[in-house]
Amino acid sequence: MAKHIMSLTVNGDTREFAVDDRDTLLDVIRNQMALTGTKSGCNTGSCGICTINNAAGEAVLSCLTPALEWDGESVTTIEGLEADGQLDAIQQAFVEFGAVQCGFCTPGVIMSAKALLNKYPQPTEAQINEGMAGVLCRCTGHIKVKEAIRNDFRLRINKGAESGSGR
Amino acid sequence: MVVKRADIDLSVIGQRRPRLDGPEKVSGRAQFTADINLPGMLVGKILRSRHKHARITKLDTSKAEALPGVRAVITAPDAKGIWATQNEPAICGEVTRYIGEELAAVAAIDEATAVRALELIDVEYEILPSVTTIREALKPDAPQVDPGAPGNIVSDNTDTYGDVEDAFAKADLVFEDKFVSRPTHNLFAEFHACVADFTRPDKLEIWTPTQSSYLFQHSFARAFKLSVNQVRIVHLHTGGAFSGRGSVRPHHYIAALLSRKARRPVKVAASGDEEFLVCRTLGDNQYVLRTAVDRDGRVRAIDVNATLDGGGQGHALGYFGWMVGLCMTWIMDLDAIRFRRQVVLTNQRPNYLGHGGMMIGTNAGLMQQLLRIAKYLGRDPIDMLLQNAIEEGHHGMSGEHFASCGLKECIETVRDASGWNDKYGKLTPTPDGKLRGIGVGIGSMAAGARGAFKHDTSAAMVKVGEDGLVTVFTGIPDMGQGTHTTMAIIAAEVLGIKATDIHVVAGDTDITPVDVGAFAQRGTIMTGNAVKNAAQDARDQLATNAAAALEVDVEQLVFRNGEIFVKDNPEQRLPFSKVSFGSLHSKEGRFVMGRGFYTTPVDYGTAAWSFGAQVAEVEVDPETGDVDLVKVWVAHDCGRAINPLAVEGQIDGQVFSAMSQVLFEECVTDDGQYLNPSRLEYKMPRAYEMPEVEYFLIETNDPYGPFGAKEVGEGPIVVAGGAIAAAVSDALGGFLPEIPMTSYKVWRECTRLSKSPDRSGPEAQSEL
Repeated sequence: MAKHIMSLTVNGDTREFAVDDRDTLLDVIRNQMALTGTKSGCNTGSCGICTINNAAGEAVLSCLTPALEWDGESVTTIEGLEADGQLDAIQQAFVEFGAVQCGFCTPGVIMSAKALLNKYPQPTEAQINEGMAGVLCRCTGHIKVKEAIRNDFRLRINKGAESGSGR
Repeated sequence: MVVKRADIDLSVIGQRRPRLDGPEKVSGRAQFTADINLPGMLVGKILRSRHKHARITKLDTSKAEALPGVRAVITAPDAKGIWATQNEPAICGEVTRYIGEELAAVAAIDEATAVRALELIDVEYEILPSVTTIREALKPDAPQVDPGAPGNIVSDNTDTYGDVEDAFAKADLVFEDKFVSRPTHNLFAEFHACVADFTRPDKLEIWTPTQSSYLFQHSFARAFKLSVNQVRIVHLHTGGAFSGRGSVRPHHYIAALLSRKARRPVKVAASGDEEFLVCRTLGDNQYVLRTAVDRDGRVRAIDVNATLDGGGQGHALGYFGWMVGLCMTWIMDLDAIRFRRQVVLTNQRPNYLGHGGMMIGTNAGLMQQLLRIAKYLGRDPIDMLLQNAIEEGHHGMSGEHFASCGLKECIETVRDASGWNDKYGKLTPTPDGKLRGIGVGIGSMAAGARGAFKHDTSAAMVKVGEDGLVTVFTGIPDMGQGTHTTMAIIAAEVLGIKATDIHVVAGDTDITPVDVGAFAQRGTIMTGNAVKNAAQDARDQLATNAAAALEVDVEQLVFRNGEIFVKDNPEQRLPFSKVSFGSLHSKEGRFVMGRGFYTTPVDYGTAAWSFGAQVAEVEVDPETGDVDLVKVWVAHDCGRAINPLAVEGQIDGQVFSAMSQVLFEECVTDDGQYLNPSRLEYKMPRAYEMPEVEYFLIETNDPYGPFGAKEVGEGPIVVAGGAIAAAVSDALGGFLPEIPMTSYKVWRECTRLSKSPDRSGPEAQSEL
């Protein structure tokens, strides 16, 4: 199958890739950039485990997204949340409130939570439930995931830093 | 909330502690099997049977072998003598017994080439008559799934304790209900995957998610005629297990076979719908529950007749059944119990165990039946459970001695917390017409189960660095349950240092000592005791050095808060790191390493059991059949809670999974073919469907557990299954004969029960 050259900015790094029509954003991120933090869940868009954020800070299912359509675009993966060697407030909240168990869905769940918090920095219960409806987590039953999301704002204030840059 | 029943002086155990591998997991650095990329690694793909029962008349791989980029093609002769289980070949050669059975496999330079190669394999089938349900399989003239299992019955075992006939004869009443639990999938987040490197004839290296590297080592060694330690099993992080990763499956052997033939490392990973064919979990199981009671509410005996769907294999299933019946005697003081399980073969996926063993199904039936009995007798169900519940010191029917038991306190706690007395029998429909119900479930779970081997051993090593940082080496896998953090906390408690000063090395059989693995809820009690013993050994070595430096006897030393001090004179002290440094940097050059192991003191089974009680409240929409699980009150006696945050997390996940199995999860098949093999169509609760959960940790101090700890790995799921089923039953005013109680089934029951609202009347049970 014919290859095309495209460019993609991932976590601030811009690179060029040779991709064919079948390649998804997930393929490029995991196989070509070797950023294995983003996991392949079901490859059918059913579980949300492959979630990344686009330039606007919205959730994107990387397993369903043809890479070629994203030529010149910019995305953030789980590896891009840390700043200056510090975990983002939502990552810290996930650790502190026990929202992580096996950890396989965690990158996708956190990127979904990040997209939610980008839109609503202090989400209501209804907004949390809607924002997190697209991801599955078998271990935690979503309970402590929701608790971590509720506490993200408090952690951000306590850190005294603006981590809600939309990215 | 932690309810303390017995307190001892602890400095590290009992605090809410975030898991130590949390930062690694939230940052994307945690590695899972699919993230492994070895130099020269190939992609393996498996050709699977399209028919549920057929003779393979032709299997021509020549075109696939000729495809550029293909490095190995294997078929049944390559896997001769390798069995995934007793009667399940790693690759099927002659007669395939279910859709998805492995027929051939290829290793190629990339996935697209491997998939193309599979398409080039020419297979011809001669279709054979088949059976896909237990009912068909048991008919006298039914087609035979396996010539070795006449009548399609692969095993038929009965365990009896006490005089069942006598107990039923003496009882005032006998209640009988039929109950069905439909097939499920473990559906861990990380799909089945295996990387194999078998390029050297004397060393097989495997990377795979597993519950037991030790069992895997043994299985691979047997299959490839290697010595056990010529097999190296590496489990990095394991993305959930839920009773589904306990044994080596065909895809594991296929990865190794492909690697040996291609002389390159090979990665085999299940695709989305393939995952549903590969899984080995609960089948379509049917139970007849008979319970003998007296009019005063005393439960005398239970008689369970189970017909279990083994699918195309089913040999392992009969073995596990013993515990399913026995666990009913761990909650109620019965005179007798009988548990018969007949394992029937069908042309479906082979079945083993699911999350909660088989016990969600049996407990969802039993708790509904006890509710029905209580209603008939005019008793409050909780009062009736308290009347029958066992207590600390109770001797069980198969020789158990319950050295700790908080069952009654668990029941009373959820009764009071849920406002049961104001709700049971008094709940009226909501203003928008939803039926409300409240249900109670109780349960018990064994912590550990000697049986698979003569031993049930976990071993551990504790290395004390000269800088005072400590490394714990353990073979137990952490599939999410947080056991590595638990082990760090136990070692930290013994050594009097911070848990964060401990690094846990696990999951590589070349490095870590023997551990039977993470199943049968044995991690905290078996591995925990091993780590405790190893840490104690290291502590003794340090104490010798510290005692000499402080010029006191070792018995006078206390290890606490990173210091070693004299009990009667705390000012006489040394930092922990100074003692570890001084041990090495001395004339003797003594490096401190502790070692320990533990196996259960009993010959069979275990010596410790958890107990629990839960109350669930539901709202049911009679128009749609939708069940809204509003709140669950959970009381669990896990012994000592080593890490209450992790205990809560385990409870959350089990309430989720029980809710999922009781209300939603079902592998729907039509004539042996899956209809819903995806995470979208195989329904599980989403965030918005989860109930509020309130926890009460009823702490006991078990004499066998490390610092009194028992288990929280599968106890709560069984209890939750019973409570949720009973709550729906209460809302509808009748016994629901099947899980999952999907909207359609609940709607159908609502419609049926509205015509005959009282099913607890005399027509529903046989009265002696």
